[in-house]
Amino acid sequence: MLVVSNIDLKDDLNALKPSQFLESSIKDTTININNDYRYLKTGYYVSLHAEVLGNNVIPSCENIIDSSRTPILLLRAARAKIPTLPFLVTDSVKKIIAELKLPVVVFAVNPFIYEGYQVAKNKSALYRALKSLGMNYKFTVCAQPLMGKIFTVKSFLGKSQLEDEQISAITEKVYELFKIPICKVHVQKTEGKAFLCGLEPLKENELSKSDLELISKEIMLISQQGEHIGV
Amino acid sequence: MSKIACFVEKYNFTDPREEAALQNFKLAAERSGQEFRFLFRENIEDIPNYDAVFIRATTDPLFTSYIVSKTAWELGLKVIDDPESITICGNKIHQYALFEKYDVPRIPTVFLNKDDLHHKKITEIFDELGKPVVIKAPYTSFSRYVEKAACETSFRDIAKRFFKKSDVLAIQKFTPTAFDWRVGVLNNDILYVCKYMIPKGKWKHGAKLRGKPTVIWGRTVSSEKKDMPTGLREVALKACSVAGKGLYGVDIKEVNGDYVVVEINDNPSIYAGYEDSMDKDIYQRIIAYLSE
Repeated sequence: MLVVSNIDLKDDLNALKPSQFLESSIKDTTININNDYRYLKTGYYVSLHAEVLGNNVIPSCENIIDSSRTPILLLRAARAKIPTLPFLVTDSVKKIIAELKLPVVVFAVNPFIYEGYQVAKNKSALYRALKSLGMNYKFTVCAQPLMGKIFTVKSFLGKSQLEDEQISAITEKVYELFKIPICKVHVQKTEGKAFLCGLEPLKENELSKSDLELISKEIMLISQQGEHIGV
Repeated sequence: MSKIACFVEKYNFTDPREEAALQNFKLAAERSGQEFRFLFRENIEDIPNYDAVFIRATTDPLFTSYIVSKTAWELGLKVIDDPESITICGNKIHQYALFEKYDVPRIPTVFLNKDDLHHKKITEIFDELGKPVVIKAPYTSFSRYVEKAACETSFRDIAKRFFKKSDVLAIQKFTPTAFDWRVGVLNNDILYVCKYMIPKGKWKHGAKLRGKPTVIWGRTVSSEKKDMPTGLREVALKACSVAGKGLYGVDIKEVNGDYVVVEINDNPSIYAGYEDSMDKDIYQRIIAYLSE
């Protein structure tokens, strides 16, 4: 198994830097570790290069794109029985108020904003959210009802360091489906239930020492278990 | 009867030639007994009510059109452009890597990673491809984000701008011709053939006049499919086979008697009186494919 990583992992994993891998034509099952898998960024091109070489790769380009587009993330997650809430893709405040009722949580659906979400508890906050996340109403947003509290957890190969069974179950299922090794997962908890809300990349400085150890440990486990990484 | 949604944005109706083409699609659908409705972004949640989705708004994995395409695909609808075609055609790095893998005749191309923008690499590129070179951002469309560099300074200047959005760029040998062939392909079959003429004194189909923001376009000269050179047909179909079985517009240059692919595009322009001049059946054929 070939490990390609832009972050410093334990030496015994023999990880290649993305630039080394992109210049190579190594054919092997590939695990692509990157804090940022955004489309058109190096993390994406590593998976693309692996796929063109014919390698099985985690994550796939399709999953990279789909997991970062909130409506598709939620659609595919719901079809895989991961709990989600209804959502709307629109640029209309009226429609959100009529169909979802306030408060709502709003994610951007455009090429420029890839992090965070906004909570709108009243109409004027919703107008502001659509104006800023939709870049002056030029783009649509993805709105979901806000029924409880939103938790954001770091997910490393599906494992989170938060001790909450429901949230852990969601990060594991999201990893099973999309196989994004490093990301932040937004989960909404209400009345004892948890729902997937969104996913976003992690900044390099958000990775703590214990996070890096957890990532190295998980990759080590995968490589010891053999090539079965369920691509 | 098949219910077809045509996903459009407001800008699809600003050019009367494009609007006329959209009305031709509607007419073709209704004449063959299909239902055809324009679907705007306000009504994306209606996708499950249709049997097929035809996307005419500009596609890119980061645009709303991808959300429409993937949603339709996940729900099992027939869709043009399908998500895989958008992913491959929307990223020139992706398609050139596939051209290389499957040996599609193409313009000599090298990739440049963000970390490699230094004197030695730029010199190597000029040595390999000559001067000037064409620098392409992977998301280029309508001749935008394609620029020419003849020296290291302008090379660095263009590359730095394009690297803001993509960590890899494509660098191609400068290959000026009087026109590019544009071959329309649907489901592995030729749909139409035309020539996109390059404006006089320019090197790409859509070019800016010096010092002005307006873009001038070369003429579109339609050709008879039956007169199409065999080599052109073969190269066009081979290029599209790496992307899938959807609707594509392939740009091909004729260089010393050989046909080389410039790029394949999903979501190709179809303007009434232009691409359809010789082949009025293109509307009917696309509708028939969607309602199969």
